[in-house]
Amino acid sequence: MIEFRDVTFVHQTGKTALRDVSLKVEKAEMLAVVGENGAGKTTLVKHVNGLLKPTKGTVLVDGEDTRLKSTAELSRKVGIAFQNPDHQLFSESVEAETTFALKNFGFSRELIDQRLNWALQFFGLDEYRNSSPLALSGGEKKRLTLACILAWDPEVVILDEPTVGQDAIQKEKLSGIIKMLRSTGKTTIIVSHDVEFIWPLQPRLVVMSQGRIVADGPAHTLMGDEKLLEGARVMQPQLVKLYQRLRRRPDSPFASVNDARMWITGPVGVG
Amino acid sequence: MYWVAGGFIFRRVGSPFHSLDPRVKLLISAELFVVSLTAYSVTQLAVVMGVMLCIAAVAKILKRVGRTLVFSAGFSVFIFVINLFARQSLLTSAIYSVRFLAIIISTSLFFITTSPDELEQVMKSAHLPRDVVFAFTTAVRFIPVLMLDAIQIVDAQKSRGLEVEKGNLIKRVRKMVPVLIPLVVNSVIRSGELAEAMESRAYGAVPRPTSLNRYSSSKRDKLVAAGSLILFIITVYIYVRFPTPL
Repeated sequence: MIEFRDVTFVHQTGKTALRDVSLKVEKAEMLAVVGENGAGKTTLVKHVNGLLKPTKGTVLVDGEDTRLKSTAELSRKVGIAFQNPDHQLFSESVEAETTFALKNFGFSRELIDQRLNWALQFFGLDEYRNSSPLALSGGEKKRLTLACILAWDPEVVILDEPTVGQDAIQKEKLSGIIKMLRSTGKTTIIVSHDVEFIWPLQPRLVVMSQGRIVADGPAHTLMGDEKLLEGARVMQPQLVKLYQRLRRRPDSPFASVNDARMWITGPVGVG
Repeated sequence: MYWVAGGFIFRRVGSPFHSLDPRVKLLISAELFVVSLTAYSVTQLAVVMGVMLCIAAVAKILKRVGRTLVFSAGFSVFIFVINLFARQSLLTSAIYSVRFLAIIISTSLFFITTSPDELEQVMKSAHLPRDVVFAFTTAVRFIPVLMLDAIQIVDAQKSRGLEVEKGNLIKRVRKMVPVLIPLVVNSVIRSGELAEAMESRAYGAVPRPTSLNRYSSSKRDKLVAAGSLILFIITVYIYVRFPTPL
C-alpha cells in the first residue's frame, strides 16, 4: 500500500510543487492522476520510489518511510516508466537494455534469462533482441521501456504519460497491457493528460491542480463534473460529453464506444 | 545537480550590474580574469576575491556565485593536493588553488549576468563569423535544457536500480555511462532537429541579416568602463612595481 501523509514538496528553486497532499493507494488498485501542466503529477509519483523525498510530511510504501530507503531499494517494488524513452535507453542491444535493471537488483543468471525471454516475447520485441535500442521506432522504444520495468516484476507500476507519441494501435496495445496488470494484481498508477485513454480503463481518478489534490474518486463520477475538470484544465472524455447530451440515457456514462453504440442503436444495431 | 547549475546559468535580475552594456561587463570580467591570473600573493588574491564578491553583491548574485564556488571547490582542492605532491610549498599550493577559484568567479560573473542575446551581440560586435556566434550562443542557451535532461536521465536510471553515488571513483565513473549515452544521443538528435527548424525559418538565406537590438553605450557605461580600466592599470602597476616573491 502507498500512503502520502500531508506531503509538501518544495523544489531547490523554491517553487512549491506539492501542498499538503494526502492519498492512499491500496494494493492492486488502478489510479489515474490527471491535471494541468505543472500541477505536480510527476512530482507526486517520483515520491513513490524515493526519487524525491518530501520536504514536509511522510510517504509510506508498504508501511516503510521512503526517507529511510534508497531509490534502488524502493525501485525493486516500484517500477516507473518515464515519459521519454530516449531518457533511459543506452545499451548496445535490446537484450542488454532489458537486463540492465535485473543485474542492478542482483537477479540470478537463470532468473534473468527467464524474465528477459518473457518480457521480450510479451512485448513483441523478441526479433529485435540483438538490435540497438536506439534504432527502434518510437512505439517500439516505448514498449521496450515497459518491458524493462515489467521484467523485474515490481508490485507497483507507474506509467508517466504513457500515450505521448503513440499511434492509435499502440494505445490499444498499451490499454491491453494495463488491463493485464490489473488482472494480475499489480498496483498501477497512470499519469496522463489523455482522458480518452484513461476513460475506458475506469480507474480511480485523482485530479490535481497547483500542487494539490482537488478531487479523488471513481472516474465515472469525477469525469461527469465539467466544472471541476475545467478548473484543473482537463477535458471531459467524448463519451461522457455524449452521455450528458442525451435526453434519455442510462444510469452511468458509457465506458466504451461499444456501450454507447449498444445503447443508441440497440444490441442488433439499427443504424 | 540543478542547484549547482544555477551557479552558471543566466537569470534575469534587476541590478545595476545586469543593466550595464554587455561589452562593459565583458571588459570588467576580462580585467578580473587577468588580475586573478597574474596575482602572486595571498594578499593580492584576497583583494581580487573581495572585489569580485562586492561586484556579485551589487549584481545580487552572491548566492549563485557561492554555488559556483561550492562546485569548483573540489577541483580547487585537487589542484592544491597535486601541487603538494609536486613538492610545492603549502603557501604556493594554496595560492594556485585560490587563483583557480578567482579565475572561475571572474568568468562566471560575466556569464551569470549576460543573457545569450547580449552575448550574441558582443560576439557580433567583435566581427566573429556568424555561424561561430550562432553555434556558441546556442550552446549557452541549451545548458539549462541539458541540465534538465541530465536530471531526468539520472532519475530514469536510478529507477532501474542504478546507484550512482555508491562505489569507488572508477565504479562511479563507469556508472555514468548509462547517463552520458542518452544525454549525448538526445543532444545529437536535438541539434539535428534544431538545424532543420532553423533552415525551415530561412537561416542563412541572407548573408548579412539585420539585428533587432543594437547596443549603444550610455554615459554610465562609459564611466564604469573608464573606472574599471583605471583600476586595472593601477593593479597591474602595483603588481609590477612591488613584486612579492611567492
